[in-house]
Amino acid sequence: MDIGFSPEEMRFRDECRDWLQSNVPLEKRPIDAADAIGFDKAWQRRLFDAGWAGINWPTAYGGRGLSIVQQVIWLEEYAKAHAPWIGANFVGVNHGGPTLILNASEAQKSYHLTRILQGEAIWCQGFSEPGAGSDLASIKTRGRIEGDELVVNGSKIWTSFAHVADWQELVLRTEEGSQRHAGLSWAICDMHAPGITIRPIRKMSGQTEFAEVFYDDVRIPLSNVVGGLGNGWKVAMSTLSFERGTGFIAEQVRAGQEIAELIATARANGMIRDDGIADQLAQMRAEVAALRAMTYRNISEVVRTGQPGPEASVIRLFTAELGQRLERMAVLLMGEDMIDFAYGDDNAVQDYLRGFASTIAGGTAQIQRDIIGERLLGLPKSR
Amino acid sequence: MDLTLNDEQEALRTATADWCRDNMALEDARWRAPGLWAELEAMGWTGMTAPGMDLDHATEAVVFCELGRSIAPIGLLSTAAANRWFADGFAGKVALALPADEPGDMRVLDPGGSAAVLMWQADKLCLFVTPDDAPHAPTIDLSTDQCRRSWTVSVQSDNTAAPLHLQLLAAAYAVGCADAARDMAADYAKLRQQFDRPIGWFQALKHICSDMAVRAAVARSQLYYAACALDAGHADAAFHISAAKRLADQAALDNGRANIQVHGGIGMTDEAAPHLCLKRAHLLQFIAPADAALLLKDPV
Repeated sequence: MDIGFSPEEMRFRDECRDWLQSNVPLEKRPIDAADAIGFDKAWQRRLFDAGWAGINWPTAYGGRGLSIVQQVIWLEEYAKAHAPWIGANFVGVNHGGPTLILNASEAQKSYHLTRILQGEAIWCQGFSEPGAGSDLASIKTRGRIEGDELVVNGSKIWTSFAHVADWQELVLRTEEGSQRHAGLSWAICDMHAPGITIRPIRKMSGQTEFAEVFYDDVRIPLSNVVGGLGNGWKVAMSTLSFERGTGFIAEQVRAGQEIAELIATARANGMIRDDGIADQLAQMRAEVAALRAMTYRNISEVVRTGQPGPEASVIRLFTAELGQRLERMAVLLMGEDMIDFAYGDDNAVQDYLRGFASTIAGGTAQIQRDIIGERLLGLPKSR
Repeated sequence: MDLTLNDEQEALRTATADWCRDNMALEDARWRAPGLWAELEAMGWTGMTAPGMDLDHATEAVVFCELGRSIAPIGLLSTAAANRWFADGFAGKVALALPADEPGDMRVLDPGGSAAVLMWQADKLCLFVTPDDAPHAPTIDLSTDQCRRSWTVSVQSDNTAAPLHLQLLAAAYAVGCADAARDMAADYAKLRQQFDRPIGWFQALKHICSDMAVRAAVARSQLYYAACALDAGHADAAFHISAAKRLADQAALDNGRANIQVHGGIGMTDEAAPHLCLKRAHLLQFIAPADAALLLKDPV
């Protein structure tokens, strides 16, 4: 075991740092999706042109083909340099793209992957439905096969960036009368196709980042199905292990900055003299360190065996809940100023309100605990 | 960067786990056979990182997690540290003293058959060569006796890594203790039936077990990182070891409590094993405790 990096990795870290230092935009990313889209696209393009997009993606599709450790180094330096959240490109870069790399045909990969890295194509996710939340396998949106097309009817919900997206990773039922995990397919849906209606949903923080999406006889070519008809569940799950493993490194590095800022704030306003607050800060500082250690452990597992270890699901849950504790502390340290509020603010209160998503989106904390209990400890399945 | 076990470490871990299962079962921690210490010494665990042994603290931490999982004698911690940091090493057992002001009384843990006593202090280790001649009394941890004796003069190791080493080993014991409680709870939740199904089927119980797994994984990760920081001589090793000790102690205590709850009625009996983990956890929190002030300091 060792926590050092090789000379080559250190050189790579220097390169990352140098580039970020002179290229991170000085203006803040606008917080509302409609305003942010131009910013997000321009920033992603700049990353791509300089060779910083898709560091561990295959070179054939616009990536750099470097190691996962180098990807981690980049993400660490990215967060340290306070580079902006990738925003609207999040789904394509962190989820849709990796799913395509693992499951898509040559034609699908060569059309989509480079566009994702260039920030030219914005992706959104279409998994959850009003009646299929934690019970994702109860998906009802259906695609009837007509000639070489799927004709889609139904609705999806909690779709971030739906109104600015070009493409959607859509999981739908393509086999009539099929139940649960069987008969689902994972398709690439053109968000500009006729028959799609988007109804934005306003979050309690005031943002309208996500939406409900309705499909009324929307036609999708069968050639847009990824991984074969009826294999949708398998395709969808292939990326979830990625998400649990390495998808949240930037957040984890940011947690390290946040705890340092919180301690500095508590010192400045004197609240650190409260033993309860000091103890919570000490606890979170230890936990942030452990989160990095756990991430490194998981990354080295990936390097060693090609896949994240069984404890990757622990990282996901721990990251989310630690993030919320940090957000709660930031609000506590504001004292009574926290009641000053306006939709559109960009402050700790907004972070706190937005942060409720992290134990709900992509599998609730309760679902994560089911997974840990069943897969890591071998307890009987509740469902 | 690599925080996974290499083949050699994995083999050592498995061998330690097997030996502990056959010779030092957790369930027997109420009372340990008099010959156990000699066997532990023969296995080499009292001087793994002694000068000339060429083993790193990371490997030692892996092994001490397994020993801690079996509620191994507290004297192993002090003996291993004494053999590493004091010139001639020790043929015999070294008991562990909790920090105390000088001059005065010190509380000595696991004194049975010891030839010397090692006191942990935040900035140094102090060694007293003294026979085991004071009367013993029990502690909350049934496997560990104690005695009190006065102290004044001692040999000291001012090497800053010395107290960190003992703190790291104590953290490893706590990680093992947290693992033991987690596994005991999960095993019981698969076996015990109520409402015609294993109780681990119910989310209310399953999630208690999942949280035990989270705490154990978090603590073990930080332990490995901290061990590597100590091996590499990093300036922030003290911070990382303190973080590891704090998280490991918490995991051991919280998992110890949760394990009793998962076991229900049998869990609060003296006959069943769960209380052994909880009681060990309570003792460990006083051994080389984490420094909260250090965790709030600016990074070095």
